[in-house]
Amino acid sequence: MTDRAGGYRLPRSGHIDRTRDLTFTFNGSKLRGHPGDTLATALLANGISVIGRSLKYHRPRGIFGIGLEDPNSLLAVRDAYGYDPAITAGQVRLVAGLEARSISGAPSAAFDVGAIAQLASGVIGAGFYYKTFMWPTWRLFEPIIRRATGFGRLQSRPNHRTVQHRHATCDVLVVGGGPAGLLTARSLKNTGLSIVVADDQPALGGSLRWETASVGEGTGSDFSRELVSELEADSAYTLLSSALVASAYENNVFTVVQSITDAGGRRGERHWVIRTRMVVLASGMIDRPLLFEGNDRPGIMLSSAVRRLIGEFGVAPAKRLGIYTNNDSAYLTAFGAKAAGIDVAAIIDTRAAQVAIHADEAQRLGVSCYFESNLAETFGYRRLRGVTVVGRDANKWRLDCDGLAISGGWTPLIHLASQRGMKPTYDPVSSMFLCPQLPSGWFAVGGAAGALDIETLLSQAESVARAISSSGAAAGAAKRQLCDGAEPNKRDLARATPCRIRAASFGSVEPAWLPDFRSPGKIYVDLQNDVKVSDIKLAALENYCSVEHLKRYTTLGMGTDQGRTSNINGLAIMGLLTGREVSAVGTTTFRPPYSGVSFATIANGRRGDLHSPRCYLPADAVHRRFGAVMKDFGWERPDWYRFSDAVREQAVGAELRAVREHVGVFDASPLGKIEITGPDARQFLAKFYVSNIGTLQPGRIRYSVMLREDGVIFDDGVVTCIAEGHFLANPTSRNAKGVAAWLERWRQTEWPSLRVAVILVTSNWATVAIAGPRARDLLQRLQPDFECDKLSFGHMQFREGRIGGVAGRVARVSFTGELQYEISVPARYGAALIERLLAPGAGLTPHPVGMEAWLRLRVEKGYIHVGSDTNGRTTPLDIGMASTVAKRHDDFIGKRSLSLPFATSPDREQLIGLTALDGMLQAGGRIMAAGHTRVPCPTDGYVTSACISPSLGRSIGLGLLERGHAREGESVLVYSAGNTVRCRVGRAAFYDPGDERLRA
Amino acid sequence: MIILQCPYCREQRTETELTYGGEAHIVRPHDLESVSHEQWTDYLFMRSNVKGLLTEQWCCAFGCGQWFKVLRNTVTHEVFQVVRFDTIPEGVQAIKGVAEDGRVPAGQVGL
Repeated sequence: MTDRAGGYRLPRSGHIDRTRDLTFTFNGSKLRGHPGDTLATALLANGISVIGRSLKYHRPRGIFGIGLEDPNSLLAVRDAYGYDPAITAGQVRLVAGLEARSISGAPSAAFDVGAIAQLASGVIGAGFYYKTFMWPTWRLFEPIIRRATGFGRLQSRPNHRTVQHRHATCDVLVVGGGPAGLLTARSLKNTGLSIVVADDQPALGGSLRWETASVGEGTGSDFSRELVSELEADSAYTLLSSALVASAYENNVFTVVQSITDAGGRRGERHWVIRTRMVVLASGMIDRPLLFEGNDRPGIMLSSAVRRLIGEFGVAPAKRLGIYTNNDSAYLTAFGAKAAGIDVAAIIDTRAAQVAIHADEAQRLGVSCYFESNLAETFGYRRLRGVTVVGRDANKWRLDCDGLAISGGWTPLIHLASQRGMKPTYDPVSSMFLCPQLPSGWFAVGGAAGALDIETLLSQAESVARAISSSGAAAGAAKRQLCDGAEPNKRDLARATPCRIRAASFGSVEPAWLPDFRSPGKIYVDLQNDVKVSDIKLAALENYCSVEHLKRYTTLGMGTDQGRTSNINGLAIMGLLTGREVSAVGTTTFRPPYSGVSFATIANGRRGDLHSPRCYLPADAVHRRFGAVMKDFGWERPDWYRFSDAVREQAVGAELRAVREHVGVFDASPLGKIEITGPDARQFLAKFYVSNIGTLQPGRIRYSVMLREDGVIFDDGVVTCIAEGHFLANPTSRNAKGVAAWLERWRQTEWPSLRVAVILVTSNWATVAIAGPRARDLLQRLQPDFECDKLSFGHMQFREGRIGGVAGRVARVSFTGELQYEISVPARYGAALIERLLAPGAGLTPHPVGMEAWLRLRVEKGYIHVGSDTNGRTTPLDIGMASTVAKRHDDFIGKRSLSLPFATSPDREQLIGLTALDGMLQAGGRIMAAGHTRVPCPTDGYVTSACISPSLGRSIGLGLLERGHAREGESVLVYSAGNTVRCRVGRAAFYDPGDERLRA
Repeated sequence: MIILQCPYCREQRTETELTYGGEAHIVRPHDLESVSHEQWTDYLFMRSNVKGLLTEQWCCAFGCGQWFKVLRNTVTHEVFQVVRFDTIPEGVQAIKGVAEDGRVPAGQVGL
């Protein structure tokens, strides 16, 4: 009956390649499967019954379904290219060398010490943790409980899967490549519509590949192959296999996750965003489980999964199979098993004999049927050994079987429609939740529309195709005429070959939600989250009757399977308990994605270097030659320069000294540069800056801050009046694009009548700052064609002219507190400029200066860095610009907010300088409230920037302190990183407070 | 994922190519002397937050860079009108957002 591999592989049937073996491991033991297998079917073929332990009670669990519906088979899977911490075994195509592990059970899934929890199962009901771990606080217990739960363990190793991103548009997206999807798609042939068919399985065909069906002389699976090759040959169709339609969004945008294997065997994923005009929901349906005591034993499977296992994979689920049903479809399982040579123990049908349409066929095949019978309990621990049947006369007897196929009706897969907010409604005749109302442009066919026989499916496919082609042709025609004026092809439905598929009907169902309530503590509704009938009972008792409460209180349907097999049973039981119809209980909403999508897939290639474009300085190579240690500051910038064996601290110290004592050269090219031109440029800019740009004369520079309309500082920098009607604004480098967009937005939307243009020119210019007492001498080296002496080129002035032989700009501004010039030349001269400035000679040894030294110099000077020394509440009043604000009589953005009570309150955090009297300050240190000497205590503010001042020789910092301006001279304690540092509060100016050096 | 046709460059742009700018027709008070704290904070923070039709500001950020207005249903994401910034979508007065004095505001929110 079966071959060598553990004894469960059938000799014939299925679409696997028996000529080739694939070796893989499960929990360390070596097993074999065949190409065409999934991990789930290969495990079953090897007779593996226990694949994991249940979440709460650590009960042995086996494979329950063989697709995404399976709540049990989450495994950790590693192959040559990556690792999945928890993936449904049915979704994993078997490849050689694959390693699978159970993610639950210690020391192993087969022998789990945690199973002792079963003894306590009477106590650990719904809400147990919340109720029990209340005292003294839930937070105390939460980490321990969290560690004991969850699925799978992450690994920090990077995976090597290729991930690709694809965007596509189509006229019709067909979700599901089974008979319903393929036949609807084929009926749209020659309509001129572009059609995408996506199916989550490796091969399209769906149930045609495993159900017993005949088309003409051939089988269903022959027919599906013909259909697929026919569609593949037509350029109007795109067929995606292994492609799960995960999410549906507004305007018919779908995301699809497709597993791919490239020519080199490298596995990966393709993340599609598909935009479509119309949708065919042909996602099929799954079996709903029947409930009975001990219904979670390994060996118990959904009836449709058993048919697929036999038909598609040639695996026997058991040596002797019992069948338990309340409908006619499970009879087909019995026939399939029988035909494959599996011993069918009996069909236990909850219904009366006269409604069972396949009963005669069962008789003919010699399958015993027991009607109006139920299952009372099950036996076996690591594998089912038998069941107790309660017959029509309440007589009990034992049926020996090591496998049980169950079918309690069907659940159409309407999740995508539900994701779009459609409420499923209960159809009592078929005992299914259907979506009679679909989003506009959506059509459902086949199982998703509740079709239980092939005739219904075919007529649905026909009418949906007709509806689509009539609405689609019109819209498509309009589209095409727009493109090339051509007429659309005349659609010809009649030419499509009429389809004559013969397959047995699924018949009808009589709901059998629960035989009785005798042992609700042993009937599992949600296998993944271990929710039992008793938990639902408890929820009902405690009045958690609404579906949303029921779900959250018991965790019913909250697992990774989204309750595909459990929700409806749970709702029905709640209905029974509270005397309501199933339809009155309602359903919860499914949210995207349908199944887990890994972050790596969504991130795609946008990792590491590809996360965002790296910006390189024009003089990047020169900096590297000078030993620059580059760091990402939005741009790749020198953090510090390595010379001989100096460590960072020494090197930074040398850079600081160079600026304070001689001259340093700093690449400031990323400095934001926005040109504002036009007759109204002055008037326009005045609306953005706190300082009055209206009075700025040509050749002059002014520092200022820019506010949001709520008064909070948004950016700072200098503004230069190059000429009348021509201004240059220098926002901070990280904010340059944002400031340009901000100016442009106001220009367009609030002041469209102002004649002004805003142009971002940051990368057009290379800018080099030279700072230090000898900066003027270094500037002279470039032989500028303008006077540079102290009197003719003063602080905060600007010159345009030839410098170093090219047309350039020089701004005399200072960020360091020293005499400083910022020289800008067209970006292509940036490298040459730096080289010339750094060359020693004429008594100068200019030193390159990196970001770290540069930022320390400004802390020493007390200049702010927006975003570090200001936060989302800081106004210009808080940083000592109150007098500047008071001088402005005209409006500027944010001005009105500065007179709101929040801004004028005396309790504001204000910018101050801190000088450590002992110890070291660190950015982030908290300033302890006055009168407190020990932590924990309230705080009055925090240290925003800190460094060792080379000039003062002690630790200094800037900080935001409540009422700070009034507290100058006070002594405060700063708590940082475990130490308490005594500091003196002062003005935010440590170095040369009289500004004599920068005016030198 | 909304697709809009920019009324300036006439190109179809998806949501990721656009910038959203919040409700349109928020009037920036001009007379700072007379405006009360409450009127000013209403301008800063209060929005109609409708469940239904809303006139919004969008920018063709990765295209031509122009700001324009969109009349959109905030529940279904259905877009009814896309107009240039100096235009008011048809019938909008009857719905929301225009100043009581009937002045047609340029309509930028400074936040």
